[in-house]
Order: sequence, then structure tokens, then C-alpha cells
Amino acid sequence: MAFAARAVKVPPNSASLEEARSRVFDFFRTACRSIPSIIDIYNLDEVVTKSQLRSTIASEIRKNAHITNPKVIDMLLFKGTEELNNILEHAKQRHHMIGQYVVGREGLVHDRDPKDEGISSFLKNFYNSNYF
Amino acid sequence: MGLGLLASRAMRPLKSSNFRMCARYIVTKPELQSPESAAAEAPAQPDLPPRTPVGGARIHFPNPEDAIEVFVDGFPVKIPKGFTVLQACEVAGVDIPRFCYHSRLSIAGNCRMCLVEVEKSPKPVASCAMPALPGMKIKTDTPVAKKAREGVMEFLLMNHPLDCPICDQGGECDLQDQSMAFGSDRGRFTEMKRSVVDKNLGPLVKTVMTRCIQCTRCVRFATEVAGVQDLGMLGRGSGEEIGTYVEKLMTSELSGNVIDICPVGALTSKPFAFKARNWELKGTESIDVTDAVGSNIRIDSRGPEVLRITPRLNEDINEEWISDKTRFCYDGLKRQRLNDPMIRGADGRFKAMSWRDALAVVAEVAHQVKPEEIVGIAGKLSDAESMMALKDFLNKMGSNNVWCEGNGMQTSADLRSGYIMNTSISGLEKADLFLLVGTQLRALDLGLVPESSNCVESAKFVYLMGADDVNLDKVPNDAFVVYQGHHGDSGVYRANVILPAAAFSEKEGTYENTEGCSQQTLPAVPTVGDARDDWKIIRALSEVAGMRLPYDTVGAIRSRNQDSGTKPLAYGRERASYIWAFVEAQVHPKDEFDPIQ
Repeated sequence: MAFAARAVKVPPNSASLEEARSRVFDFFRTACRSIPSIIDIYNLDEVVTKSQLRSTIASEIRKNAHITNPKVIDMLLFKGTEELNNILEHAKQRHHMIGQYVVGREGLVHDRDPKDEGISSFLKNFYNSNYF
Repeated sequence: MGLGLLASRAMRPLKSSNFRMCARYIVTKPELQSPESAAAEAPAQPDLPPRTPVGGARIHFPNPEDAIEVFVDGFPVKIPKGFTVLQACEVAGVDIPRFCYHSRLSIAGNCRMCLVEVEKSPKPVASCAMPALPGMKIKTDTPVAKKAREGVMEFLLMNHPLDCPICDQGGECDLQDQSMAFGSDRGRFTEMKRSVVDKNLGPLVKTVMTRCIQCTRCVRFATEVAGVQDLGMLGRGSGEEIGTYVEKLMTSELSGNVIDICPVGALTSKPFAFKARNWELKGTESIDVTDAVGSNIRIDSRGPEVLRITPRLNEDINEEWISDKTRFCYDGLKRQRLNDPMIRGADGRFKAMSWRDALAVVAEVAHQVKPEEIVGIAGKLSDAESMMALKDFLNKMGSNNVWCEGNGMQTSADLRSGYIMNTSISGLEKADLFLLVGTQLRALDLGLVPESSNCVESAKFVYLMGADDVNLDKVPNDAFVVYQGHHGDSGVYRANVILPAAAFSEKEGTYENTEGCSQQTLPAVPTVGDARDDWKIIRALSEVAGMRLPYDTVGAIRSRNQDSGTKPLAYGRERASYIWAFVEAQVHPKDEFDPIQ
């Protein structure tokens, strides 16, 4: 149960925003370093490149760029570490990875069309589902 | 009669007189036998709260001097002459338990469940058959009445099988509810129960005749409402059975209604048998679209599946009956549905594609043909919103060849009274003669009349909105046919592109019945696969074609319907045909008489 113990270990809270910020960068580096093994574990060579995964991680982190409360950042970091551990422990399967970090990023790719730029929100919703 | 109502009636003495509820034995005491003592026992309550009639019913007094006053549980009510005791109790807000009595059928008075006590009457009286007399003092809550009900219940349950767990009526059974509310808490019956051979009434009505309590509601319904003498009572006493006298099916088109009026599980729905329990179902109040009556229905669904359709009360249209077609049409909603946009390939087979591609193809073809070569045909099941959208779209494309199938040869939408059934449905009862002519009111109200009658022969682009009965042999071979609909019916065989749409149980749409009454369906279940609401498809197509229609919501399209012209589709009763009188005044010959000369 070594990895379980590692997963539940909670680091002390960040004292300031700067400390939280540096922790985020640490986490980003750790995640980036594990990209090769992730690609190896889940056989992702033919579907995604390392740089694509890197930008996926970066965009996941940037989603929360507006948060300034160090406690909230710590919580999000904890969740991110947990997710990374799950991935590295092979607690996920290949389709999870593809769905969450490769294809699921922007909706199904074949459903996107450069011609969609000028269309109304009605038509966008219409292509999505009947209920809007 | 709801279980809750009955239960609250049964619970009432608990609150008021707790000390009387010690132990209930099946015993008879001298004071229970004499109504006078019970009457003396009841304390006079001077200020009773006003009660509302059962089901919010209103009483209509044909002439006010015929009103009589009776007292129900000490509460005075005014009722018209000729009301029965049971009706008087209902006006007073007291729901009397009953099995054989049904307000739309003749009075049989054979179940004896509705016994109440009437002052100065030696015995409890069957309230459904007893006319109310002025000054009558009716007591529904006395020990005598309760004991009478308990006794009747015991007799009814004597020969009723204890198979509620496997009975389809379980949960909505009058006998179950009333035995919970009024029955005894123990049985004294140790002999064998009688059993009755099941009858074969056809593929719609399942019979378990052992459960029958001989209320004869089905017999009276068949005779009086359906107008067939198919069902009847055989035998006497304990050998009494309901049946068709000879081995024969029940062929009336209203036969499904005996399922609803049967108070027990003797007559149940065969297609619904063992499919669901009624408490699992979600009811959606909707409108039937399979015929021109526009019956009010309740669609019972579980998850994404319609499990049954039952009638809903509407006094002006269907009362509380529906036809078998309406009741049992739901199995078609599950099978052979179109669920993906499809295009016919070079090999003649359909290929599924995305909405984006399908609409792009249709829009491109529509722009390649001349405006007068575009024809739109609305089907019989189309709702008013989508027909309005189709007409607007085709008009924007420059074509006015939009029409609906199911109309006669000469369609004129100019005068509303020229195509609606001017005698309303409730007026049919007074009619002497019927002449049945088909018109589709919704479409004509929206002005869906073709510019030229032979537009199909020269069409290059045909848009079928659920139109399956139109003769497609006349369509030229090189024409591009778009079929929008929910079932792969005959229109699909000629189609080049299929756009899947929602059925009436899945969308919110306005429908108009034969007398011109607009009503609305409500979505009961989600759409199948990738299908969309009809008007949304046309709205999306119009945008892809660059002729964007100005409405994004169903509310916006309804207000477009409202101000589309002379005949707005307002909900409710049919609008009076004022033009009728005007037309009659016009046709008077004028040239015979000139006042100036």
C-alpha cells in the first residue's frame, strides 16, 4: 500500500501566494517529466506527441489561473497530484487518457469545422443536441 | 378514486374520536343495527368548514327553483332535483366508495359498496341508485354505514383471488384501495374460492375473469357508449359471469376503454401486461395526433420508453374515452425509427452522416434549382410550428409550392368555416346525418395551399415533412427528395436525404383537431438517436442555406403563428366562424330588385 500512503500524504499549506506558485511550477515539471512513461504505459505514441500532452497539462493548469487563494491552489495541486499518481499507477485505461487528455479537449474533432465561425448559437446547439 | 382520498376519509375518525378506536371486532351490537341510535349519538356541529365538491366539480342548475337542499353529515348542500344521494355527497365533498357506479354509464346499483345511512330509513341505502329528496339527512360516516361497507367488502373479497402481487391492476385497483380504506382487517373465509374460465376478448384486452366482481361496468360501456351488444352477464348467483355469449372477440374500436373502467384487474391491457407497475411510470399530459379528434391523453413512460397511453378528461372532446388506435399506437414509437441523418449513396443504399454534412448537402441542392421547382409537402402528423417554419423557409427560397397531404382536391384556406367541422364534437350527439370529409385544419389555418396544383410534376427539389401518403410516382426521377420524419415509412423509399425528426411523444407541438381546437403536446420521452424537433431542423436548414428564419425558440415561432395572418392558432376552443354569416348574406341575388327604380 505504498502508493496509497503516498497519495494521502498532504504537504503543509502554502504560506503565501508565491510559495503556492512555485509549487505549481514544481508540479508542472514533475508532470512533464512523467510524460514519456505515460506515453509508454498507455501506448499513446500513435495518437499524441509529447509536446501536445505538455500543452494539455499547461492548459489544465491555466484553467485555474484566476485563483489567488493559496488554500484553494493547494487543494487543486493536491487533486492534480492525485490524478498524476492515478495515471502513473495505471489506475486508468487507455481510453480514459485519450478521452480526457487527447480527444476530449475540444469536443470530437470531426464535429468541428472551420466554417462554423459565423454560425448562430442556435445552429451550434442544434449540432450538439436536441435539447437546448 | 385516489387511495390518498380514501385513506384520509378512513383516517378521519382517528383524529376526532380517538377513544372509540380501541379494538375492532367483527361483531354486531344492537345499537349498530338501529340507525336512530347512531343518529342520536352524533353531536350536532354548528359551524362546519365549507367543503369543496369532489374533483372540483361544478353544479349546473337548469332552473333554480328546482334546487333542493339535503344534509350530508350535517352539512347543507343545494342540489338540482333528480340528483342521486351519491351525487349529493360528491357535491358536499364526500367521496362515496363505489364499484358499479360510473358517472357516464347507466346506474346498475349491484355492487352495494356505496351504502350510506339516511335518517328515518330502516336500512342503509345504495346511494348511487337512490334519488335525493328535499331535506334528506344523509350520513356517510356513521358506524352503520361503515359496517355496511365492511360487510360488502367482505362479500366482494370472498371470491376475489389474492393475486395482487401478480395482477396488473395492482397499485391502481379500486378494490385494493377500498379494501385498504373500508375493508375489515381480518377474514373469516375458509372455504374454496370460486374460479371462472377466462374469456378471449382479442389481442388488446386481457381477461382474468376470476378477479371479476360483476360490477357490469364493461357490459354497460359496451352497450351504451361503444354501441355493441358484445358483452353480457351469464348465469345467476354464484355462477354469474361476464362474457361474450358465444366465443367471439370484442371488435369495437373503443374496446380498450373497458380496461380503464374495470375497477379490478379482470380486464387489463394485453400489450401492457407485466411491463410495469403504475407507480414506476411518469405521466405526461399530452394530445393524441393519430386521428382528427385530438383526444386528451396521458403518456405513461418509464425512462426513454412509452409504456402505455391512457385517456385524460376533456368534456368537450373525448370525455374520458379514447379509441384503440390512440391507446395502443405506442408500440410503433419504439420500432423502425429514423435515428441518424442519412444520404443515399451511388449504390442506392443509405449512409449515416452528421447533421452538419446533411444540412449542407440539402442547402446546396436547394440553391441549385429554380425557386418554382421547390415543393414542400407537410405530412399528416406535422405540428403547426414546423409547418409554419416550412412555409416560411420555402417562401424565403422563393417558392410558394407548399402544401399538405390529406386534403381534398380543391383546397381553399380562405374561409375557415369552409374546412373546419362547424358542428363541434360535443354537438355530434345532436346530429342526424354525417358526411365525413378529410381536411387538415392546422395546415389550412396556416395557409399551406399550393400555388399550382401540379407543382409536383415539375419539381426538382421536394421536401417531405413526414409526408408518406402523397403519390411520389409523379415526382420526376431527377428530383432531389428530402424526407424529414420519425418513421421510415413509404416516403423514405424515394428520398435522397433523410433527416430524423421527433415523434409526437417527444416534442412540444401545437395540433388542431377537426373542430378547430388547438391543443399542445408535451414531450414525454427523449428523442431517439440523433433526431431533432421538426421546426428546429427547418430553422437550422434555413441558416445553412443562408435564409435564416427569425425565430430561435418555440415561443418565438408561436408568436409568429399568432400574427401570421387571419387565422391565428390560439389555444383552446375553436373560434367562432363569424365569416359564415357574412358569406350567406353575400350570396343573396341582388339583380332582381333595385330600390331606386
